[in-house]
Amino acid sequence: MTIRPPTLREKRRYILISVEPSGTIMERKDLYYAICDAITSLWGDVTAALILPAVISSEAEYMIIRCRRGTERELSLALATITCCRQNTIALRIIAASGTINTLRERIQRLHTPDTEPVSPNEYIIGEKVFHVQYCSGQKVDLIEKGFKNTNRLFLTREDLEEL
Amino acid sequence: MKITDACIYPFPSGDSSVRRMALEARSLGFDRLVAIGITSADFYGIEVLNGIHIRDTTLKDLVNRVRLVRDRNAVVSVQAGDNGFNRAVTGVKGISILRGIQAADKTAFDHVTARMAADNLVAVDIDLSPLISGRGVIRQRAIHRYRDILVLERRFEFPITLSSHARSVLEMRAVREISGLCSLLGMDSPDVEKAFAGVDMITTPPDLAVKVV
Repeated sequence: MTIRPPTLREKRRYILISVEPSGTIMERKDLYYAICDAITSLWGDVTAALILPAVISSEAEYMIIRCRRGTERELSLALATITCCRQNTIALRIIAASGTINTLRERIQRLHTPDTEPVSPNEYIIGEKVFHVQYCSGQKVDLIEKGFKNTNRLFLTREDLEEL
Repeated sequence: MKITDACIYPFPSGDSSVRRMALEARSLGFDRLVAIGITSADFYGIEVLNGIHIRDTTLKDLVNRVRLVRDRNAVVSVQAGDNGFNRAVTGVKGISILRGIQAADKTAFDHVTARMAADNLVAVDIDLSPLISGRGVIRQRAIHRYRDILVLERRFEFPITLSSHARSVLEMRAVREISGLCSLLGMDSPDVEKAFAGVDMITTPPDLAVKVV
């Protein structure tokens, strides 16, 4: 199929999201299926066909999602209802929407936060369970339980760790 | 007006500390949180109110428990039960919020209870977790019940509160997203603003224009 001239192409919008918890590695395909499922569940197949979602790119914890222009509201509401992807509990935070991918890529460059001081010690005992530091940025510190399976994650702050 | 999430469950009920939830709430656009089982405090510029959630109890026990609450700033909420229980609860002094109305039976909240709630300034909570994490029938039933409650709210004007019932920072949603979800219930922007300020209304009730002597 030949590419249509710009005036005949469908107008698209691009939404920049961040995936929480930080450090979650997610396949674009998995996220696409999660988004499609959420849209279909909330709005139905007809609206899902109108939105035409697609996961365009992923850079670290940031992802760019494409939709048809005018359906941003429907897509953003559906994104708010995504709670897990491949049995991982996640949350998608919408950062910005734009008409071009380039603008969002520039935005990602600006969003990169400088490295913060690592937390020490690296291990903590909370309720007879051993946790080690998984991620820290600014005041936020994520701890993950030591083990192979059913490992819980705790979301704390540096002040909480000082009180432990 | 302070934008308030009327119910969160920090650690140990959930997996996030109250400080972390306050930090997240600040970035999501909230001004205040009602945290169950936490003493009132300020964290990172977010006012955190002590929330008490009473459930699975008889009316007699409920009255005794409410009497024992010593924290003046505490927001006492009760899990909705059948119609008789809810009517009685809306008449008990010291109770601020009636929760879990979407899980109660169809006739649990009628026009009489609505009028009593309006007279006694007892808010009805709209729990957004069935809309966020529920799928299929659970979500449909919740939307149906909330729409029904909002019809009564427009008629009798009792306070409404919005809550995420988040047990983790991952379950918290931005103010803009909550407004969008409320639009699914037929609420427009002024309705949502009023609902966000629902906790203000029950903690600092407006002065009456006419005093009955």
